[in-house]
Amino acid sequence: MKVLVANIEDVMREAAARWTLIAYFFLSTLFIIIFASAINLDIVDGALAGAKLFGQDVGTPDQAISIEKLVLGFETGFSVFLYFLCTFLAIFATAHLVPRMQEKGTVDLYLARPVSRVRLLLSRYVAGLILAGSNVVYLMGSIWLIVAWKTHVFNPRFLLAGSIIFLIIAVLLAFAFLVGVFTSSTAVSIMTTYGIFFFGLMLAAHDKIAAAVSKQWQAWLIETLYWVFPKTAELGQAVVGFVGGEAMPDRVLSALTPAPFLTTAAFGIVCLTLASWLFTKKEF
Amino acid sequence: MTTLIEVSGLRKLYTSSFRKPKITALDGIDFQVGEGELFGLLGPNGAGKTTTVKILLGLTRATAGDARVCGLPVKDPESRRRVGYLPEGHKIPNYLTARQALSIFGRMSGMESSEIVKRIPPLLDKVRMGQWADVRIKKFSKGMTQRLGLACAMIHAPQVLLLDEPTDGVDPVGRREIRDLLMEEARNGTTILLNSHLLSEIEMTCDRVAVLRHGKVAAFGSVAELTHQTANYKTSYKMVATPVDDRLVASFRETGAGVERVNGHMVLSVTDVEHLNALVDRLRAGGGVLSELTPVRSTLEDVFVDLIRADQGASVGAHE
Repeated sequence: MKVLVANIEDVMREAAARWTLIAYFFLSTLFIIIFASAINLDIVDGALAGAKLFGQDVGTPDQAISIEKLVLGFETGFSVFLYFLCTFLAIFATAHLVPRMQEKGTVDLYLARPVSRVRLLLSRYVAGLILAGSNVVYLMGSIWLIVAWKTHVFNPRFLLAGSIIFLIIAVLLAFAFLVGVFTSSTAVSIMTTYGIFFFGLMLAAHDKIAAAVSKQWQAWLIETLYWVFPKTAELGQAVVGFVGGEAMPDRVLSALTPAPFLTTAAFGIVCLTLASWLFTKKEF
Repeated sequence: MTTLIEVSGLRKLYTSSFRKPKITALDGIDFQVGEGELFGLLGPNGAGKTTTVKILLGLTRATAGDARVCGLPVKDPESRRRVGYLPEGHKIPNYLTARQALSIFGRMSGMESSEIVKRIPPLLDKVRMGQWADVRIKKFSKGMTQRLGLACAMIHAPQVLLLDEPTDGVDPVGRREIRDLLMEEARNGTTILLNSHLLSEIEMTCDRVAVLRHGKVAAFGSVAELTHQTANYKTSYKMVATPVDDRLVASFRETGAGVERVNGHMVLSVTDVEHLNALVDRLRAGGGVLSELTPVRSTLEDVFVDLIRADQGASVGAHE
């Protein structure tokens, strides 16, 4: 526990000193402020008379708008945006944790302590997750509160969807740690992690890609990669499906099955296990 | 005396890259360091000093042999519970203040927060950094960073201190203070393994020394033993006498003694004590007055340089 607390303190202090923490929360706050000022609702006697987003009317004047539906629409749309924003910011703010620790002259100071390497690495991983998680809570929580304050509609599913975003961050951070242990390079860690995120999005069309390739082994490769890599597209859909609930089309709701969650989590666990094993074997 | 550092038959081979021959960093070294001992590890660059220390800390693994610290094998993280380490060219995260760094490393060494809070002020005073406790490390000079590194190594009151170039970048006064501090720690029972290029420092501080060369222990013993063992120096004496003239020098040389006139005195190289006495007799017989006669001790640097030169000579001979 002392090691974990020490690592959390170290990670937070580093994030604060290097402006990462400030930039991280500044960008999030900026988004929250823009969102808060962009949403303009006209509520008369508890009913929604009109709504504007970025100055544009939402719905047509002759169309009665249910306030619940409007909130659901807002939150569903923003959840996709937040899925990308939270993930990107999290990777950018935490991918350096291992490469910087492995720097010559620094790593000796950490490894000379009576702590196993696995414990040291996992403590740092947890510290990174706390940093990223706090931003997810801040962003999702603030937006949820703003919407609830302006509309008096409380949709807890929007808040809970943060856990799906947190899952993808945890998995991608595990991958960033693996690359960090192997290469000791922050730049490579960030690039490959973003790469795998986009690759995951492309692989959502694995059926179509596999059908389009000319050779059987290529099709198998595509299918294998799809099942091995994190399902970033499906988890994005799952966020939308979870926030929107039954109002969402079946195509979106189909992502809310255990398979994408389990295979993505398995990828993260394998990455973290490999990173721990590599870190244990590494000579400094 | 309890042995706290034990190294036996330690070997380390590094593979530089694919298909290239392996590099032998350590070739079966043995030594032991007891409780409260100040032990110096010497050697030219690439002799295996840092590799030895890294193996003792579990930073790198030995290819063969055994290394134990505080009675535990080095692969067990618990062996580092009572060990403090100051690496050469260390980089304590510079976004921290001295107090924060000590707090983080103290906690990583298993200390309670309350214990750390109490220990920081006296420890920083000890390394003359008391006024800098709440200043960011990035503002520190190299010497100050080095002192803080020493404090980080000592935060958990370790039984064993492994120090790699502890006075690197420190001014002469600071060097002396660090030397005094280390000697005080050793008197209080801390075992210290000192790895330094500053031979005069090792000579002034260490009880025993091991000189590494090509991954092997080339010389081992107390500083006094090593400086007296070297044949070139054990029969040299400084003689201060009057009058010292060419006639006297010639008369000494007749006996086969080596005579060198240096700043008004003579440095005599004799075969043994009888030979020395014969020279004193000659001086007196000629009406001379002897005012000082002292054996010339070799310095550790002399021993070190001789060992390295002997090795270079051997290599040249082997090539020829």
